[in-house]
Formats: sequence, structure tokens, C-alpha cells
Amino acid sequence: MRPAPNRRQLLGGLIASLFAPHAMAAPLAKVRELGVLRVGVYKHNRPWSWSEDGVLKGIDVDLAKAFATKLGLRLDIVEFTAGENLSDDLRNVVWRGGLLGFQRCDVMMHVPFERKLQQDNDNVAIAAPYCREGFAAACVEGTLDCEAPPVSWRGKRLAASTTSIGDFYLMAGFGGILRNSIAHFNTGYEAVAALGEGKADAVVASNAEVEAGLKDMNNPKLRRRKAPLPAMISEGWDVGIAVREDSRSLSDAIERVLAAMVKDGALAKIFLAHGVAWQAPLAG
Amino acid sequence: MKGSFIRTGFAATAALAVAALALGAPLKAAGPTSEDIKNDATSTGDVLSYGMGPKAQRFSPLTQINTETVSRLVPAFAASLGDEKQRGQESQPIVYDGTIYVTASYSRVFAFDARTGEKKWQYTARLPDGIMPCCDVVNRGAAIHGDKIIFMTLDAHIIALNRHTGKVIWNKAVGDYQAGYSATAAPMIVKDMVITGNSGGEFGIVGAVQARNVDTGELIWDRPVIEGHMGTLKGQPNGMTGKLNATWQGDLWKTGGGATWLGGTYDPETNLIYMGTGNPAPWNSHLRPGDNLYTASTLAIDADTGVIKWHYQTTPHDGWDFDGVNEFIPFDATINGKPMKLGAKADRNGYFFVLDRTNGKFVSANKFVMQTTWANGYNQKTGRPNVIEEGRPGAPLGAEKGKMVFSSPSFLGGKNWMPMAYSQQTGLFYVPSNDWGMDIWNEPIAYKKGAAYLGAGFTIKPIAPDHIGVLRAMDPTTGKIVWEAPNKAPLWGGVMTTAGGLVFTGTPEGYLKAFDAKTGKELWKFQTGSGVVGSPITWEQDGEQYVAVMSGWGGAVPLWGGEVAKTFKEISQGGALWVFKLPR
Repeated sequence: MRPAPNRRQLLGGLIASLFAPHAMAAPLAKVRELGVLRVGVYKHNRPWSWSEDGVLKGIDVDLAKAFATKLGLRLDIVEFTAGENLSDDLRNVVWRGGLLGFQRCDVMMHVPFERKLQQDNDNVAIAAPYCREGFAAACVEGTLDCEAPPVSWRGKRLAASTTSIGDFYLMAGFGGILRNSIAHFNTGYEAVAALGEGKADAVVASNAEVEAGLKDMNNPKLRRRKAPLPAMISEGWDVGIAVREDSRSLSDAIERVLAAMVKDGALAKIFLAHGVAWQAPLAG
Repeated sequence: MKGSFIRTGFAATAALAVAALALGAPLKAAGPTSEDIKNDATSTGDVLSYGMGPKAQRFSPLTQINTETVSRLVPAFAASLGDEKQRGQESQPIVYDGTIYVTASYSRVFAFDARTGEKKWQYTARLPDGIMPCCDVVNRGAAIHGDKIIFMTLDAHIIALNRHTGKVIWNKAVGDYQAGYSATAAPMIVKDMVITGNSGGEFGIVGAVQARNVDTGELIWDRPVIEGHMGTLKGQPNGMTGKLNATWQGDLWKTGGGATWLGGTYDPETNLIYMGTGNPAPWNSHLRPGDNLYTASTLAIDADTGVIKWHYQTTPHDGWDFDGVNEFIPFDATINGKPMKLGAKADRNGYFFVLDRTNGKFVSANKFVMQTTWANGYNQKTGRPNVIEEGRPGAPLGAEKGKMVFSSPSFLGGKNWMPMAYSQQTGLFYVPSNDWGMDIWNEPIAYKKGAAYLGAGFTIKPIAPDHIGVLRAMDPTTGKIVWEAPNKAPLWGGVMTTAGGLVFTGTPEGYLKAFDAKTGKELWKFQTGSGVVGSPITWEQDGEQYVAVMSGWGGAVPLWGGEVAKTFKEISQGGALWVFKLPR
């Protein structure tokens, strides 16, 4: 917690904005004037963001809290339901708002930091990559060879989140021979939890879902596969935030907060509290 | 008409007056019975159901407005649905006892005086602000029964309002809005039951048809439409739909799709409810070998028990997003010299189907759009499409990964939600269709819910230089197109036909138009000020014939860009009920 340098940086940003007429209306100034940072996080996205007994929890939630605190703002955090694709989410959450009164957010968490996505959505700025995500497998020891090629898992009980990459990997890969062995779950975290509940022998889900799930299950027989998954479709991706296209002064300020959190270890600490080893984004 | 008035109006009122005297109940509680609704197609003094009758033929026997007089048709009044809330008005009005009931965008209901257009009451559903409907904030209409107006909301509720006051009588959730479930279709009344379908959400869906007690909203029967799922009747198990894993691999049937989001039709003669089902999940067909029953199908369901009597799958193993939700309209005709009880459906996949409605037997399937790249007709013996495999979007992995396929119709369909009409006078179906295709490919990198995903990319494009929309007259006995009336922008509104020899439909450009039912010649048009994507109706009142339609541009079309958007990007939003009649 070192608020002083950030505030200085912010003041610097404000002074700079005095000389840039277009930046005058930039939301950093507006957000500071209102004293509130409104952040949108995905619903049902454990361990990133989920609701438990009416309380929002998760890595993205803790990150949003840190952003607000370090910017000296009160946090207004709100969940939203994922749409059919990222463009729907960016429209509803960041640049337009919902048609039924959902107020747009200053910041949307958990946006893939990808050039194509940025090109397709020029009403937003995707910024502040804060980690790297990818896909992993985990198994129940003794039920199958976790390090063997997944093709050998035929006939075992496999778990995946419906229509996730993990699901497509198991269903479409290996000539489709694993297709009859897959049990589908609403989320990757639930698919990982199925291992702990004795409902599945192996799972393919995202790194964070696997690591957080294994920590929460706290079962010595569950372990993560060490070898990379052969012919995995996704090479992984950086995760960042989105702000409105005209609000880069805000994302710049968050990038400065983030840089400080990387340096002092606060970022990795947040991930670790949820059982996830922080991986630096490639875009750094 | 007179006789019908005496029967449904006077006699019922008299009977109820006696009951009211006995019970001290207000006379106002009277209203249309299930029997009245069953006869809606012939009672010209009212419009008591979505489709202007349980068969949804959208045919009126009225003749005062006809090919000779229609050119003199003028507005009687217009009523605003303002409230700063505009967007798509896809509703069909209901008319009863001097009142027009109509649902509007944002899950609203209005009651207007049918003679003056003066607003009697308005109900606005209190929607949670967190919901984000996929397409638009439309609603397609209400049902009426007794003292109730019943409609469905964007947060997946079904609500019965008192039709005199607009106050809530009962309100039931039909899905969890928090997981993205929503409802836009008009409910249907059958034998004192409310029949509804469902729509998808965040975690997918298993399509289902439900029957509820019209007085309480309590569930009577539930019929999932995907094989392997159990139905219920009065809280008890009522048999499995299909046979487990017959046409699905693994546990994919558990999230198989088949949303019944458009609702159905009913044939009192066979006591069957006909319901169309949506496309299967996941979207890539290579991941789910098999026919995937009963997705992209028409189901015939026994109204009393919720048991499936027959099915016909219009797109087996769908890979193009060809929902099979379209209305199946019962009609009678003579085929090869044999009088038959038939039904017809114009499908998203570009084919016009005629089936024997008593048993689902295939009679014919004919193209009603310019081009179908995915199939070359149907096999007359098996009733299955001659699928063109090169027209199927590729597998998500392997050699086909990056393959781009041109597919026509586009996923918005040869015909989308907008209902067609059948004329008992000409024996023709009038189909609001669209000629368009799409490039579709597997995205190398796509994202959903903040994570990498294997999505499909697509670009919708016109396939003709001068039009996308075409109103087409189809002869169901020959499968031939009798006439066509092209329109620059995609057609997105319902059709009505009358014994006056007319066909009415609206255009996104803002016109309500009347055509000669025999020739397709445009005889009249009126500019309503915004796009017309609702369904017109007609009724008789004080000896005069009225026509009404909703105006208000929106729906799913404006969500898509590219070449197609050029035809509608200048259209203004609106929100009004327009009512027309001949000058005295």
C-alpha cells in the first residue's frame, strides 16, 4: 500500500490534461470528481468473480478493490451475465449500457488483451493486462495416468464446462473417441469440483479454474497435469480491462497502479489468496 | 357475425348476469371463454388470439375492405407507446368488447379504447436492470381469457392482468432471469390452459412446452423437447421424450438446445398443439453426430396430456443455425384428388413444408427463397433433405479448421419469427421471406465470458441486387410460388389475409401495405412513421371494418451490420398503434 506515488502520478495526469482539451472530459477526471469507480465483473466466473451468500468474491473483485483504493475512490462493483460473445459484453457493460437500465461501468474486468478483439470493438480501449490465462488438466490419482496423452483416457469419466475450449478439445480432438466419456458442467470450476466430489476422473479447464478448484477441494489425491496438453487449441491469452474509448486517462492510471502492484508483490498475493499462481502477461 | 355476437356476447352476458346476481360478483368478470377463443377465426367482431384463431391462419372472412375499396383506407386514430421507450414493436393486438389490448417493447401492456384510441390503462413490468436480452426488447403479443390479459416478460415471467384495470392477478417465473432466461412470445389459450414455450440463457437450454391453469398459473404439464428428458403431468412423471442417446452422443442431450421461443398453434379437430423447436447446441455440428432429436423440428403434442404424438424434423443435424421454431398452420386441401387434413410451415432453412397434420407424414417440401446452399430439395420417400455436405460449416479442428462456407439462407433464415397467413379464399399461403446468405467460418481466436472460445464468424449479405425481403404467395398443393412482391429491406413483420381478396403486411421502410391476394399487385400503402415489424389484424365494430398494426422499427435485424445494414440504417425508431378504416 503506497498511495502517495500514485496520487502524485494522478495529479501529474490531471495537470497534463489541462493542456489537452480532448482529455478534459476524460473519465479519470470525472471519476475523481464523483469519487466512485464503477467496475463490472462476470457473474458465475469462479475463481475470478462469483457471488456467495450475496457477497461478491474473487480475483477480479479483489483487484477492483485494490484499483479503487489506490486511486482514492469508493468502489461500486456490479455483476453482469455473459452475453453470446465479448462484443455483446463490451457494448452492454462498457460503451453503451444495458437497454433495461444497466448503467455502463467505468471499467470492465477480465477482458482478453487481444489485438483482434480491440480491432473489432473500437468503442472501447482494452488495456492493463494483468495476467496470463490458458488451459490445464487435473486428475484423480489412481484412476488414470494423468501425464499420458488424453487419448488414453477413453472410457474414464471426463469433465468439462459446456462449450468451453476444454470441452471442444476433448470432444473434437482424438477423432472424437472421448465424446461419450464427457460429463458437462455449467462452469469450469464446477467441472474441477466434480473431481473432488468423486464424479469425474479428469478435467480440462482454465489454469485458474484448475488451481483454485484443487485448493478448495483440498484432496491429496487430486493433482494437476504437469505435461502440456498435446495439440491444445489455445496457446493462452493475456487478461486485461476495458474502458470506454475516450477514457484512456483512466486505464493509464490503472496501469500505473498495476505496475506498482506487480513490483511490490500485491498482485501475486491476490491470486495466491485464491490458490492461483500469478502468471505475468506476455504483453507485460 | 350477428349470430356470433349474440352467442358470445349476449348469451354469455345473460348467463353471467344470473351468476352475478346469485354470487354478488361484479358483472365485469365476464369475458372470452376457451370456446370463444377456439372460434376466434370466425367471430369477426373481435380478435381473441395470437394468429386470429387457434390455427393461426391470420385469415378474416370480412369483406368491407376489399380490392375495390382498399385504396380509400385512411387512419381512424393512432396511439403512442411513448414513455421514452421505443425500439421494436413486434406485437399483434387483441380486440375485445371495445378495447384493443396490445403488448409493447420493454414488457409493457396497453389497453386502448377501440373507438377513440384513448388509453384506458398501461402496465409496465418492473424489470431488473441487470438483464441484457440478446436481441431486442420486443414482445409479440398477449392472450385473453375471461377477465385476464396474459403476457410474458423479458425477465422470463408470465403475468395475468385484470383486463379492466391492468392490475396483476397472478405472476409466475418461467425461467431464471439471473442466468439470462427471457420470454417474448405470445401465450396461447387451449381448454382453460395457458400454453408457452421457452428461450435460452447463459448456460444453454433444453426446450420445453408448458401448460398452466389459466386462473392460477399453476403448472399442469411440462414437456421437454430433447430426447432423454422426462415430462410431467400434474406433478407426476409422464414418460421420457424420445429414447435416451438414440440421436445424441454422451451427455450432450442434457444441454441440447431446441428452445421453443416462438410459441405454437393448436388444432381443435385433432386436439394437437403444434410447436416448433430451435437449433441444437453446441453450435458446431461436428461435435454432435446424429439427428439431435427433437431440435429443428415441429412437434405435435396432445393438449390434454402433454405427450408427443408425432414429430417431423425440418433440419436433421442442423449446422447452420436453422431454428425450426416457425409456426405450423393447420389447413385443409385436396392433394392428388384426396381431401386431406394438412399443416404448413415455412422454415428458417428456406423450405416450405406440407405435412399430414394427423400423423406428421411428409407431403412436400419446396424452396420458397432464391437459394438454398445447404440442401438440394427433399427426398419424397424419406422426407429428409438431400444435404450438400460441402455447404456445411467445417469442423472446429483439423483440416477444415479455417474453411469458409457461403451459406444461404443466412442464419436469420428464409423466414424468421414473423408469421405467414393462409387464405381460405385463394388457398394460398402468404410468406414474409428474405433472400440473403452469409459467409461463415470457424474463428481461429474468439472469446466468450472472458475466455478463449471456438466461435463462428459470419457476415450476412444480400444475394440479389434489388431486394432482400419478398412477400411470396405459395400454393401448398403444388409448392409453386404464385406471385412475389420484393422489398428493399428485410421483411420482419407478420402477414394477414382477408376474404376481401387482400393481403396486408408491413415493411421496415414504415409502410403498411395491402396487396391483391390473387395477383400480388400493390393496391394501397400508408407510411406509419417508423418501421412496421408487427402483425396486422382486422375486426368489425359498429358495422365498420377496422385494420390495426403496430409501428416501431427494431427486432434482431438492426443488430447486424455490413451490406445488409445499408437497407435500413436510416430508419427512425417509433412506437405507435395505428388503426385504419374506410371513410364513412
